[in-house]
Amino acid sequence: MASGAVTALPTRDAHRDPVLLLPLAVAAGLAVGWLGVHERIAGTRIAADLALSWALIGASLVVLERPRWRRARWLLAATPFALLGADLEWASSHALWTLGFLLEGLWAAFLVQLVVTFPEGRPWSRPARVAVVAAYMLTLGGQLVGVLVAPDTRDMLSVTSSPSLADAIDRAQATAGACLAVGVLFLALQRVRVLGLPARRAQGPLLVGTAITALADLVWLGWVIGTRARVPTLENTTRAVAMTIPVGIVIGIGWSRLRRPQTSELVVELRSEVVATMRERLARALGDPTLDVAYRLTHGRYVDADGRPIELPQQADRAVTAVSVRGEEIAALIHDPALLDEPALVESVRATAALVIENERLAAEVRSQLAEVRASRGRIVAAGDAERRRIERNLHDGAQQRLVTLSVALGLEAARADRAAADVLARAQDEVEQAIGELRELARGIHPTLLRDEGLTSAVEALARRAPLPVTVESSVQGRLPDQIELAAYFVVSEALTNVVKHASATDASVLLEREPTTLRVTVTDDGVGGARITSESGLAGLRDRLEALDATLSIDSEAGRGTNVSTVFPCGS
Amino acid sequence: MLIVDDHQPFRAVARELLESAGYIVTGEAADAAEALAAVAADAPDAVLLDVQLPDRDGFAVATELAAADGPTVVLISSRDADDYGLRVAACGARGFIPKSKLSAAAVAALLD
Repeated sequence: MASGAVTALPTRDAHRDPVLLLPLAVAAGLAVGWLGVHERIAGTRIAADLALSWALIGASLVVLERPRWRRARWLLAATPFALLGADLEWASSHALWTLGFLLEGLWAAFLVQLVVTFPEGRPWSRPARVAVVAAYMLTLGGQLVGVLVAPDTRDMLSVTSSPSLADAIDRAQATAGACLAVGVLFLALQRVRVLGLPARRAQGPLLVGTAITALADLVWLGWVIGTRARVPTLENTTRAVAMTIPVGIVIGIGWSRLRRPQTSELVVELRSEVVATMRERLARALGDPTLDVAYRLTHGRYVDADGRPIELPQQADRAVTAVSVRGEEIAALIHDPALLDEPALVESVRATAALVIENERLAAEVRSQLAEVRASRGRIVAAGDAERRRIERNLHDGAQQRLVTLSVALGLEAARADRAAADVLARAQDEVEQAIGELRELARGIHPTLLRDEGLTSAVEALARRAPLPVTVESSVQGRLPDQIELAAYFVVSEALTNVVKHASATDASVLLEREPTTLRVTVTDDGVGGARITSESGLAGLRDRLEALDATLSIDSEAGRGTNVSTVFPCGS
Repeated sequence: MLIVDDHQPFRAVARELLESAGYIVTGEAADAAEALAAVAADAPDAVLLDVQLPDRDGFAVATELAAADGPTVVLISSRDADDYGLRVAACGARGFIPKSKLSAAAVAALLD
């Protein structure tokens, strides 16, 4: 032998791969077929059993391409052997007949288990688990009891030959079998309802096949119960109908394959502007409307397209596929785990998405940073408001209280003093009262008590009452609004009215507070000289941060000679 | 009269003012709980009640006293009545005097 590495030929492991069972199944089928012919069994019956057996083994080979469907694959491979084993009843040999009798319904139990644990081998639900247990008890258990009393001379395990008892057991089995068929029908229909779109695509045909087979079984078993007669045509038809189960599995896989687009088509589709968002384009390409795209930011957090943070799901009902460029993860696709059964599709979408997703990721990162800036500005404004409340309360509880006490004391002393001293004391009291008034105005400007206690309308009405010109207030605000919005709206009105008083030469003004389903609109109008604009020194400009933190927009309409209209719109859900 | 205010120097001045005008001050209270206890114990004819108290606000106390057919309440505050809007009228008090305007005449005008 020449030098060099010895390469082991790939070996097929019969424990992992049912492909080796194919010749065995063909041989077993042929043997059973020969047995049937030899024993003069009806050709239709032999054909039905062979067709169903080989369809099942064929489906088990097609399922090979789905790694997650391993258990289903083994059930698909085992069922034909159970079915052909049951046909040993055709033999004249006592041992083969007895074995065939014991195996009679096992294949049906295998099919029930296959269907209600499809595709991953775990029962869908507790009722599904009950159905599997019931199927085995009914078939294996029923035959074990039946073999003790079967009125057939080939029965090696017969204890007593009792046709009436055997008939009763048959009828009980048929009745329980009909109930099981109803249960499986219900489970299949329910399963169709709860599956996501990708899973429905892959498993739908199987579920339809299951429902049809359960219905055919019901007809057959109903006939058996009702007439006590076995009609070969019905029995053969039921077996032929059961072929819809393996055929359904193959159709499901074929259907998923058919809609697998080429990479070039994917590039076009993912770059298409027809569908608005990358999420929608990917969802369409993968046929999974529940798909989400999580963009990975440089510091490892994930955000959606709008820059909102999202967590990758941990639960088993969602799957995550990473999208990477040059080894660096740039996004994650969160999708229906059924898509894992189409690894080639997911891989081609993943590879294509990597080419086109980078821009989206950068945009999401910018949006995320903007959201952070906005949130941070909101926090700064909120902290400022809290500080304003604290200062207002300190002024009220401290300096204002002391001045008030001083003022009352001065008044008291003035009443007791002689005229000259009383005059001095009265003037002192006036000064103190003026200081109290100024302090009160200052406190109101810092944080108005009435706004905190009674809300926007009352506080704005108080502003209007204190204004030195007539101000009408109309409000459709019912109840309270978020603190920050109330405070910002109040300051807008306060600053706008201050401007009216200082600059507009107006004879009257009006304030309109309009609550709409998703907004609050605050409008301050005067009949003054107009020509106003927002300069960097104006009080309204000072509210910019506060308004932007709330996504509010402020506009001013002030044509010379036509008065001024200051309008602010706050986004404000109900 | 009962004087209710959490600022002791103010209570002292108010007591002097009321007593010099001939009112009998039955007691003083620094918060709502003390005030309600003093009303129950001394049954004053009227209460000079500060709006801002440490435990509950004066409006709540006034409402409770009015509901129990208690003494006449005169609210006082270092803020303006305007700062409280409709609550002054709604709480069942006889009237409101800004603290800086507190005088025997102002009290008498409300009580007589």
